[in-house]
Parts: sequence; C-alpha cells; structure tokens
Amino acid sequence: MKKLAIFSVTLLLMAAVFAFTVVAPTWKITDKYNISFASNEVGGIFKTFKGSITFDEANPATSGFDVTIDVASINTGNGLQNKHAKSDEWFDATKYPVIHYVSKKIVKAGNAYQVTGDLEIHGVKKEFTIPFTFQRKGNAATFNGTFNVNRNDFHIGKPGGDVSDNIKVTVAVPVTK
Amino acid sequence: MLKKLLILGAVSGVLAGIAGLIYQKVYASSLGDGFTNVAKPVNIMISCILGCLIAAVGYFLLSKVLKDKTEAVFNLLFSILTFATILGPIAAKLPLETEMPELFPGLAIPMHFFPALAWFTLKPLFAKSV
Repeated sequence: MKKLAIFSVTLLLMAAVFAFTVVAPTWKITDKYNISFASNEVGGIFKTFKGSITFDEANPATSGFDVTIDVASINTGNGLQNKHAKSDEWFDATKYPVIHYVSKKIVKAGNAYQVTGDLEIHGVKKEFTIPFTFQRKGNAATFNGTFNVNRNDFHIGKPGGDVSDNIKVTVAVPVTK
Repeated sequence: MLKKLLILGAVSGVLAGIAGLIYQKVYASSLGDGFTNVAKPVNIMISCILGCLIAAVGYFLLSKVLKDKTEAVFNLLFSILTFATILGPIAAKLPLETEMPELFPGLAIPMHFFPALAWFTLKPLFAKSV
C-alpha cells in the first residue's frame, strides 16, 4: 500500500512537471532569407542557410537556434572574388564547408533580444552574442539582426590588408509556423 | 573620308552587335545563362556600334597626324585597347541575385573582341575610299 502511494505521488509529480514545461514553438525558415556581409572592399551574400529555430517571444529562455550557412554558397557578385573567398586563404570551403551557430542562451534586451551561443567559422569555435529583433505577424515572423564579426578571431584571411578586419553581417530571416 | 569611316564604323558596329547577340544566344543555350539582366541585347548592340564609331573618329584623327602610318598604328592601338577592355568583365560586380557570376567573363570577354574583328574584316572593303 505504501509502495503504491509513493508510486502514485511520483507519477503525479512527473505529470505536473511535464504539464508545466513550456516548449517554444518551432519556426520554419522560408526561402526569402537574406544573409549578407559587407566591409570596405567586399560585400556579398550567402545563398544557403538552414537550420532549426524554436522561439517564444514571451519566454525566450526556452528558445533555441541551431543554424548553418553553406560556405560554398557565398556570392560577392564577382566570380574571381567568389573563388578567392572559398580558397584556403579565406574560408577554405573544402575543409570547413559550413558556418555553424548553436544558441546557448536567449534573453530579452529592451525591445529586442540577445542570443549567446557558439559560432563556428573556419574550424574556430567561439562564444558569440548576436542582438536581434523579432517581428511577428500572425503565423509569420521575421528575425532581423546586424552585428560585426572580426574575421581575425576566426583566422579568416590575413590580418590587415585591403579587407577590413570587422565585417558587418546583416541577417533577415522570415519564418512561418 | 570621315563620312566613309563613319559608315565603316556603323556597319562594323552592327556586324559586331549581331555577332554578340548570336554568341549570347549560343552561350545561354549551352550554359543555361546568357546574363541578359546584365548584358542586355540592346546594350550589346549600342556598345558595339558606339565602339566602332569611336574607332572611326580615332582613325580619322590619327590619319591627320600620321598619314601613311595610320593603318599600322591604328590597328595596334585598336588591338591593345580591345585587350585592355577585358579587365571590365573580369572585375565586374554583378547583382547578388545573379547565379554563377564566374561564367560572366566567358560571355563578355569574347564579345569585347567582336568590334575589332568586324572592323578588321570590313576595312579592306573600304580600303580604296578610306
């Protein structure tokens, strides 16, 4: 009888825990995303971006991003520059085919949000914080973010030179439920 | 003389333009993209005609200075300038939505030689009058 009571209480507690666990909704990335970068000398886009996004604007702590960018999809608008960017002197697309970002913590910051996670580029993984906004319209929404990446932190290219060290990255990712 | 040269320039330009358009069609059918958003057919035609008309004026001005050596110097200059213009398509930055920009020089560079080729082809026909 005592065992049955303990079992019942445990079951009840587990049910209560699961009942109150908040799961952030999953968002599907649409094809109209824009991942662009710009510096003094070069600019361009990455054409292939994918991953999974779970995000609840009311409860960002339960949210998470796990996204990748295909390095070979870089397009600067110039064939020679594309080839150069994919070469081992810059991104080394053959050895490091993707840029990977996995969130660890998402917090609200004023009217916007901040995601902290591991950013892996060119085989170098670093903790990186990205500020972003989330604009929702019914079952659709858009994530927008602009931030700077110091290419030297990820050993991309040689320090100095014509291309500035800080690359401005702009991300616009429309999503649907 | 200038009138004849301008006619030569215009005819050469039209010929080069037609060659350019045909080449663009062939290129598009074999590689899938003729870059018509960047190299618009009307622009190809205008560029070729304008290039050959400028060449005609250049030939005329050179002939005033160089007399008998005009032909040799002009041909050399036209060839050098034609080679120099291929830097344009190599360095061109295409709109970012353009797929495979690395194929663009393969389309545009040969086109840059068409005005000079057309000029050199037709020039003998005008040799007596020019």
